[in-house]
Amino acid sequence: MKNIKQGRWSIACVCMVLGFMLAVQFRTTEDMKQSLPYQRLEELADRVIRTEKERDELKEELGKIKGRQDPGMIDEELRIQAGLVPLEGPGVIVRMDDSTQKSKAGENPNLYVIHDEDILKVVNELRAAGAEAVSINGQRLVGRSEIRCAGPTLSVNNVRSAAPFEVHAIGDTTALENALKMRGGVAETLKVWGIQMEITSSDNVYVPPYKGSRKLTYAQVTQEKEGKK
Amino acid sequence: MILPVLGLCVGIVLGSLTPILIPLAYSKFFSVALLASLDSVFGGLRAAVSGNFNDAVFISGFFTNALLAAFLVYVGDRLGIDLYYVALLAFGFRIFQNLALLRRQLLRKHG
Repeated sequence: MKNIKQGRWSIACVCMVLGFMLAVQFRTTEDMKQSLPYQRLEELADRVIRTEKERDELKEELGKIKGRQDPGMIDEELRIQAGLVPLEGPGVIVRMDDSTQKSKAGENPNLYVIHDEDILKVVNELRAAGAEAVSINGQRLVGRSEIRCAGPTLSVNNVRSAAPFEVHAIGDTTALENALKMRGGVAETLKVWGIQMEITSSDNVYVPPYKGSRKLTYAQVTQEKEGKK
Repeated sequence: MILPVLGLCVGIVLGSLTPILIPLAYSKFFSVALLASLDSVFGGLRAAVSGNFNDAVFISGFFTNALLAAFLVYVGDRLGIDLYYVALLAFGFRIFQNLALLRRQLLRKHG
């Protein structure tokens, strides 16, 4: 065993360092095992705080909206004008569907399907005839609504829907009907291509409220400026 | 043989008493360094038993091995090469080899 004695001090020193490292590593591992659930706990607590904050903000917003509603009739009138209230009354329901005719060889098949322009024309006629509230496939038309081609579908209030389309309009029943059916009008033009259009008048046409976003990000309230267009 | 064991015990007690903890980000490097030191110690023991022990070689080997292993793993981490497992494998292999040689030497001497 003489050889071992030769380096016993250095080995002892190194063993001490090794023991130190071992102990530290052991404790670190133990600590990690213990702290893992704590990390999860912290994460969950953080999420709870965030959700609570969000809830409080929403509550505040709700309170504001409710408070705004209270002042009564003028506000309700504004809400009706803005299209935020469901309405019912006499009017027409226009059902439109793609053509049943087969497109002839060499003819553009696009002529036989309903386009955003066709719907736009119908809506334009209805409004010109004094329609008070209009909805397309359950989407209320308000000042910010678009009627736009979205691939094979139609996008209104950023909600897409496909044919058949159902346009509800509240107003003078005969005026609305005549506006669509007049000679050279929308109904006649579309009939050429075989596009189905069925106009029914009813005493209680339902028009749903606008449900889309009402947030204004860019526009700000300002004073009226004279002479500016 | 008493002195190294005593040193180990003292080290463990010291390590348990000091409030040092390795941060999670460095625990990988530290464990590789630990393995490298373990390998060095076994290598030193084997050298001592077989009679070609050298103080300077042992001490320098102990520290350079540990530091180099940690450094390599760090570089690998930065480069996206997982050298951690390579070091683990290499040192583990050497530890078992040294252990086997140590056992044989001791058996031959006392047998």
